[in-house]
Amino acid sequence: MTLVLDMLTTAAILYGVAAGLLIVFGVMKIINFAHGAFLTVGGYAALLVTHLGWNPWWSLPVAFAVGGACGAIVERLVMKPLYKRPLDAILATWGLAIVIGQCITLVFDRGVQFVQSPLTGAIDFLGISYSSYRLFVIPLSLAVVGLLGWMMNGSRLGLVTRAVIMNEDLARALGINTGMVRLATFSLGAGLAGLAGALITPLSSVDPNMGVPWLVNAFMIVMVSGVSLVSLGVACLVLGSAQVLVSTWANPILGGLTIVVLAAVILRVRPEGFARA
Amino acid sequence: MRTSNRLFATMLAVLAAPLGTQSAAAQDKAPVVIGTAVGLSGANSVVAPSVVQATQLAIDEINAAGGILGRKVVLEVADDGSGAAGAQKAYDSLLFQKKVDAVISMETSAARNAALPIVTRARKPFIYTSFYEGRSCNRNMFINAWVPEQQVASVVDYFSSKLNTKSYFLVGSDYAFGRGMLEFTRKYILAKGQKVVGEEYLPMDGSDWTAIVSKLKASGADALISSTAGGAPNVTLTKQLRAAGVTVPFGNLAVDEGTAKSMGSDGKDVYTAGSYYTSIDTPRNKEFLAAMGKRFGAEMKTPNDLSVPQYEAVWAYKLAVDKAGSLDTDKVLKALGEVSFNGPRGAIKMDKQHHAALNMYLGQVQADGSVKILETFQGVDPGAQCPNLK
Repeated sequence: MTLVLDMLTTAAILYGVAAGLLIVFGVMKIINFAHGAFLTVGGYAALLVTHLGWNPWWSLPVAFAVGGACGAIVERLVMKPLYKRPLDAILATWGLAIVIGQCITLVFDRGVQFVQSPLTGAIDFLGISYSSYRLFVIPLSLAVVGLLGWMMNGSRLGLVTRAVIMNEDLARALGINTGMVRLATFSLGAGLAGLAGALITPLSSVDPNMGVPWLVNAFMIVMVSGVSLVSLGVACLVLGSAQVLVSTWANPILGGLTIVVLAAVILRVRPEGFARA
Repeated sequence: MRTSNRLFATMLAVLAAPLGTQSAAAQDKAPVVIGTAVGLSGANSVVAPSVVQATQLAIDEINAAGGILGRKVVLEVADDGSGAAGAQKAYDSLLFQKKVDAVISMETSAARNAALPIVTRARKPFIYTSFYEGRSCNRNMFINAWVPEQQVASVVDYFSSKLNTKSYFLVGSDYAFGRGMLEFTRKYILAKGQKVVGEEYLPMDGSDWTAIVSKLKASGADALISSTAGGAPNVTLTKQLRAAGVTVPFGNLAVDEGTAKSMGSDGKDVYTAGSYYTSIDTPRNKEFLAAMGKRFGAEMKTPNDLSVPQYEAVWAYKLAVDKAGSLDTDKVLKALGEVSFNGPRGAIKMDKQHHAALNMYLGQVQADGSVKILETFQGVDPGAQCPNLK
């Protein structure tokens, strides 16, 4: 039972981290390599909340807002001039990741720091006791899925975004302001990254490079999952569970490799990954 | 022609001579540079500030007392990233660019192992001040911190006799220290006739202990003993254990008082053993703590088992150079094995195959992060660490 919960919570955490990356990939057709840096920004936002002495629950909305704001600024300054040059845009995000990391180091120092968890202790249910904070991640991720899904399918912005995903030039020809859509999407992606950063820090720690390992895993999952949020969920479930199983039955060092290796194998066997072909 | 050549050569010699004496005079005034490589980033970054402070205090005190051989002492700090790659860069910079006279460092075993070849090439004295897994030997290196022979026994003995534990789960960071400590611990536990029901490792910078915590709970072990890299891994492991509701006796072989404080309430009841705690009740320790408080005030980081040996090592180096009468490496190395410095941990001499006999303490972390000393062991011998080094 613990194993099942480990798999579900790991998948939920991975989903939170990868969702922002997927949205940006779907709309702008580029991989945002600064995603890990936005994750780190979210983690440090949570640290600030702890230092200011606010209730730790505030770290989630604050991290989302800070991440989103950073994303908006970055989109206008860095991404907009590079709309016509997607390969250069990808490179720009890589450089951005380095810049953001160094800025954080300048302000917060290189050391590892810790954040207070909003939920402490374990709850007993179904015969085992499990970390309540980890359990909380599941409903939170589901809420994020629900919100994103509603937004995509039930709102005007979602409709417009789906049009841009399908065919950007045609959408622009129809009078849709694709620049606005890109701005909104990038900010949302960055905000989600910030939220994910704040989500994972109470379980571990904050340091200027904390986003890097998550970026690698998120990147592989997004590669494997196509464009739909549902297929992302499936990919997270499969790859996250594989990681937990390998970590439990073999050792955690191999577990760290699982997602990357498995994603490569899946793409070799079925190039469209988990997307419905 | 030949005459003018000879004249030219003589003129050059006459002109150059004062330069020679001038540089000799400048040598007398040149500062003695002590290099310290420490993990300002990475796993050790939690303890690094305290290490730098302890080093700084020792240097300030030595300068106030006239310096080393009448020369001012200067500190050069380099970041080794708590690992091997960073250590290579740090040591190259300290020994070959900054040209330090000695290196006195608290580092992870990965960093130390990467640094040793560079120290050997540079032929400078190196004092290693971090507790570690033992058996690291180099003619240039002296160690004034503890090894497993001095520490593990106290924790395991206490658990089995006072807490009646019979089966142990071992968790460590996957590098020389984690594996070395737990190898020693496993042998000691088995020699006592008890059981080891699990042994798991995570990479040094890893922070996701989920699978290991689940395996620990499934194994039904009576007790947990951990040996992770100093600093961050201790905190993440403890936080995740407590979040998962693990309450078995937890002996942490690698936590220091400073890190225990950053664990907050999660650190309560963790058992640990070491050669220094701020609660050691001796006049010398109280004097040291007062000096630290005066020098750093509100910025003072809790002195701990990773920072105090650094303070004592700087002083031991001064005493060794005084005894040797010069900075010559071979003379200083000989003197380092002979001088005794009376510091916060008592009188320490690195004369046991480059290691030192130490007073050890078994303690339990309290709710406020301080360590309450449960048992004291005087003058514990490090055993045969480097039989090939005289």
